[in-house]
Amino acid sequence: MGEFAAGDAAAALTRAEELGITVRKSTRWYVWYQLVFGVAAGLMVLAIGLVKAPWGTAFGGTFWAAVIAGLSLYAARQRVARRGFGRWHAVLVASWGVLYGVVLSLGLIFFPGVAAWWVAGAVAVALPGLIGGFLEARR
Amino acid sequence: MTEAQETAAGSGSHPRHGLDEVIHAPVRFSIVAALAAADKAEFAFVRDTVEVSDSVLSRQAATLEKAGYVAVTKGYVGKRPRTWLSLTPHGREVFAAHCRALRAIAGGPG
Repeated sequence: MGEFAAGDAAAALTRAEELGITVRKSTRWYVWYQLVFGVAAGLMVLAIGLVKAPWGTAFGGTFWAAVIAGLSLYAARQRVARRGFGRWHAVLVASWGVLYGVVLSLGLIFFPGVAAWWVAGAVAVALPGLIGGFLEARR
Repeated sequence: MTEAQETAAGSGSHPRHGLDEVIHAPVRFSIVAALAAADKAEFAFVRDTVEVSDSVLSRQAATLEKAGYVAVTKGYVGKRPRTWLSLTPHGREVFAAHCRALRAIAGGPG
């Protein structure tokens, strides 16, 4: 392996750190992914809860399907995925799923057309994406 | 150096003995360092980041794959073929140990 001086070791560590920074910068697309996911999730809940049936459900569902299709295409085109992407994304989707299920089921049964419930619900459903995007941006 | 001497050197107490011979090569070290910050990265991204040619990356990635440090996955995005590189769990462990050895060397008397 030959002689390897302290300076060489320090240079190698610096190089590794620089490469890590470059790679992490290239994973910042996931900030936008999560923010769009969060905002779209909130808008879908608002449409379902506040727009007259069946238009609200139809518009909300179509809008959500289009957003998810667009985000999936966007993610597939990226050249690098952040470390821990799979686990982080699973938490995002699971959190959204739980909140969406609770807001929608309780809202449709107990609060149909109640703006306060659906606005609060939309914010709650948007939170996983918004918080995820915020945390991702701070990494 | 005889085999016995190599064995003795490989088990010495100096931090340099913690360096991994496969990762130690500059290009391979850069590839692994880039992959350490990601879950997976496209071949072309690693090539551009490490600043090597396709053939050099291909050769070094094959060496790292043979050592069990890197996984190479092929797939398609639409109709375009893509190759993805990622560090295996073993590769991450070895890289972490290699970096510990580098820090020890950098922090030591040299």
